[in-house]
Amino acid sequence: MWRYILRRIFLQGIPVLLGFSFFLFLVVTIAPGSPVTHLRGVPNLDTSVIEQRKAQLGIDQPFLVQYVRWLGRILRFDLGLSFDSARRPVADLIKERMPATITLSVASIILGWGIGIPVGILSARYQYSVFDYVITFLAFVGISIPSFFFGLILLYVFALKLNVLPAGGFFLAGEVRTLAGFISYLLLPALTLGLGSIAGVARYMRASLLEVINQDYLRTARAKGLSERIVVYKHALRNALLPILTLLGFMIPSIFSGAVIVESIFAWPGLGSLAIQAVNERNYPVIMGINMMFAVLIFFGSIIADISYAFADPRIRYE
Amino acid sequence: MNRRLILVLLLLLSLSVVVSAADTPVQGGTFRYGITVNPRGMFNPILYTEVYDGLVIDVVYDGLIYIDGNLQPQPKVAKAWEISEDGLEITFYLNEGIKFHDGVELTAKDVAYTYMTILHPEYTGVRYGNFEVLVGAEEYKEGKADTVPGIEIIDDYTIKFKVKEPHAPLLTSFGYGILPSHLLEDIPVGELEQAAFNLNPIGSGPFKFVEFMTDQHVILEANDDYFFGRPNIDTLVYQKVAQDTIPIYLQQNRVDYVEISAEQYEQVKSMPGIDVYIYEALSYNYICFNMRQERFADAAVRQAITYGFDRQTYVDVILEGFGIVANAPMPTASWAYTSEGVDDYQYNPELAAQILADAGWAPGADGVLEKDGMRLEFEFLVPEGSRQTEQMALLFQQNMEDLGIKVDLVFMEFSAAVDRVDAREFDTFTMGWSLGVDPDPHGIWHSTSLWNDPGFYNDESDRLIEAGRRETDPEKRKEIYAEWQRIINRELPTMFLSYGVTLSAVNQRVKGIDTDPGPLGPLVSRELLRTIWLED
Repeated sequence: MWRYILRRIFLQGIPVLLGFSFFLFLVVTIAPGSPVTHLRGVPNLDTSVIEQRKAQLGIDQPFLVQYVRWLGRILRFDLGLSFDSARRPVADLIKERMPATITLSVASIILGWGIGIPVGILSARYQYSVFDYVITFLAFVGISIPSFFFGLILLYVFALKLNVLPAGGFFLAGEVRTLAGFISYLLLPALTLGLGSIAGVARYMRASLLEVINQDYLRTARAKGLSERIVVYKHALRNALLPILTLLGFMIPSIFSGAVIVESIFAWPGLGSLAIQAVNERNYPVIMGINMMFAVLIFFGSIIADISYAFADPRIRYE
Repeated sequence: MNRRLILVLLLLLSLSVVVSAADTPVQGGTFRYGITVNPRGMFNPILYTEVYDGLVIDVVYDGLIYIDGNLQPQPKVAKAWEISEDGLEITFYLNEGIKFHDGVELTAKDVAYTYMTILHPEYTGVRYGNFEVLVGAEEYKEGKADTVPGIEIIDDYTIKFKVKEPHAPLLTSFGYGILPSHLLEDIPVGELEQAAFNLNPIGSGPFKFVEFMTDQHVILEANDDYFFGRPNIDTLVYQKVAQDTIPIYLQQNRVDYVEISAEQYEQVKSMPGIDVYIYEALSYNYICFNMRQERFADAAVRQAITYGFDRQTYVDVILEGFGIVANAPMPTASWAYTSEGVDDYQYNPELAAQILADAGWAPGADGVLEKDGMRLEFEFLVPEGSRQTEQMALLFQQNMEDLGIKVDLVFMEFSAAVDRVDAREFDTFTMGWSLGVDPDPHGIWHSTSLWNDPGFYNDESDRLIEAGRRETDPEKRKEIYAEWQRIINRELPTMFLSYGVTLSAVNQRVKGIDTDPGPLGPLVSRELLRTIWLED
C-alpha cells in the first residue's frame, strides 16, 4: 500500500504537477492584460515608474525566465510576493483564507453525502413511487440550477424576507463567536455549494443501488428468508457504495472551483474573492499559488478516493 | 391656571430635553462602515494605491492639511501656512503637542521624512510626480544629490517647501499622512514596501489601528489622546460586505454606512431607518476617439457624432437619472466647472447629418458614409462587467446607424481592453475617470501626459494647462480653466457622456453627518468620523 502511494506521488504526481504548472504559467502570462494596469490614471506618472515597477515584478523578462524563476522559488517552498501594492507573501494571503474555504468545502461535502446517500437509497427502495418521482425532479433541478442564482434565492428568502439568517459574510467585528452563530453563517453558502453534490450523489446512489438490487446473490439472500431491510442495508448497500466512492475523487475539484463563485456571493472570507481579484488584476504569483494548491489538493483527493476504494472492496489490492 | 402653567413648563422642559438629546453628541458605540473590496494591507500613506487601504489610512494618520467639503485645504497638523508673494515658498507652522499613537511627538522632522522618502531614488510608490516641482527633487531622485534644498526644517514646528516655479496643485498634495520617522528611518527606502509597519500602522490620527482580518474587517479604536479631541464613537469598523446583498446588510443593521449602486436605490430608499444621500462625484465617463486616425482628426466628425448620440436618454433611461450629461472634463462638483460658453451638444441627428455632409462625407454603396477612401465604420471597445455600459454601447450603435455610421461593438475584459488602449490599438473605446480634488487637468490632457489616450495635441490647450498650474490666485485660475473647457468642448477629443453621481446609505442612528453632501460625501471623505455620534 505505502509503496503504491509513494509511486503515485513520485512517478505520477510530480510530473503531472510540473506539466500543469508550465501550461498554467504559459496561459496566465500570455493572456492579454498587464499586472500594472492599476497604475493607469495615476497623475503625473512617468513611463520610467511603470518600467521600474515591471522590472521589480520581473515581468520585463521573457516567459521562460519568469517560469524558471518561479519554479526555483516553488522548489524552495516559496510562492513569491503578490503583485498588488501591498506586496505581501502569496503564502500568507492563501494561509489567511484557506481555513474558510476548507470549512465551506467540507461542510458542503458533508451535506452532499449526508443528504444525498440516504435520499438516493430511499429513492431506489421505493422506485417509481411518488417520493421517487419528486426526488428525481428535485435532483434534476438541483443539478441544473446555477449556484449563484440559487445562492441569491436563498439570501432573498432567508435573509431579506424571513430575516432569520445573516446576509452572508462572517462574524461581525465584536460579535460573540458561538457555534450556533457559526452555523448560521455557514448554512446558506454550504447549502448553495452542496446542492449540486446532494442532487448528484442522490442520483448516483439510486442508480447504483438499483443495479445491484436485482442481482442473483440478492435474490439468494431474499430466498434465504432475510428481511428486505437486511438485504438492502447489509448486502446491497456495501456493493452499491463502491462507485459512489470513486465519485468523491471526481467531486473534490468541482467543489473547490464552485467555492470560488459561492464565496463571492456570500462574501465568505475564503480564497474565492482573492482568486477572482487576482485573475482580474493579472496577479500572476497569486493565480499560480492558488491553482497549484488546488492541483495538489485534487491530486491527493484522487489518491484518497482510490485508497478508500481498496478499503471498501476486499477484491481490490494495490501492490 | 397654575396647573396649566406647570404643564406648559413641563412641555417646554421635555422639548428642551428632546432638542438637547438630538444635538448633544453622545460617546460610545461601534460604527460600521461597509466596504465591498478587501484592503490589501498596505496601510502606509505614501505607498498605498488602493482606495480601500486609503480608508484606513485616512483615520490612522493626519496630514499637514485636510480637504473640506468644498474641496478647499484646511489646517490639520499644520495650524497655518504661508505662501510667499512670488509663489515659490510654502511655509507650514505645525501644531505643538501632536502625538503619534506610541506617544512620541510629531515634529517637522517627521514631515520632512515623509516627503523626502517620496523623492528618494529607491522609493517604490507612485507619488513622486506630484513633488517633482520641489527645488532639487530631480537631482535627489537621480542620486546626484544627498539633500533636497526644497525641503527645509526651520525648527521643530516649522517647515518650508520651495518650488522651482509656482505650482497651484501642490497645496492639496500635502494631505498625505505624516509617517513616524523614529519607527521607519532605519529601514532602507527600497525595503519599506516589505516593512511590518505597513500592517501595523502607527500615525497621529483620531483612530488607532487594532486588527485587520482578511476579507472580514478592519477594527480601529478611538484615540483617547487625539490632539483635536477624542472621537465620539469608541470603535470604527470597516466591514466587508457582498455587493449584491448590501440592502440586506442595511436592513439587518449590520452596517451604518455604505455606498450603494443605482439599481439598489429604490429598495434601500423604502427601508425604515435608512437615509440615502445622492451627490455629484468628481468623475465622468466618455467615449474616446483615436485622433491619430485621419477620419477622427477632423473636429467636425467628432462633433457630429456627439450631436448624433442621445446622451440625455442614456442618462435618463439607462442610468435611471443617476448622472448628469457631461460636455467637458470638469465635473459639476468641481469648483472649476463652468457651463458658460460650453456647447451642450443637445441630441440633434439632423444637424449631425448636416455637419457630416458639409464635411464631405457621403453614403457609399452599402449606406455607410465615406470620404476620400475613408469609411465611417469603426470598432467600439467596451469593457465588460457593467450592464449600463453595455446598454449605452447598444444605444450608441443604434444612434450611429441612423447617421450612416457603422459601429462594430467589441466587448472585452477590462484589463485586456486597457492593453489595447495603452498600445493605441483602438478606434474608439469607453471608460471613465475619477479625478482628484485639484482640477489640474495636466495628468490626462497635456500633450506630454501618459494618459492622453485620444492623442490630443493642442498648443492652446497645453498653454492654458501650464498657465493654470502656475496661477496661484483661485479666481484667475478658474478663469483659465473655463477658457480651457471651452477649447475641449469645441475640439471634443473624446465625447463626454455623464458626470458621476454617488449614492450613500446611512443608518438614521448616525448623527452629525453632512446632510447636504458635496463630492466627498456625508462623512466628508473620512473627516467627520471623529465627530459623528450614534443615537440608541
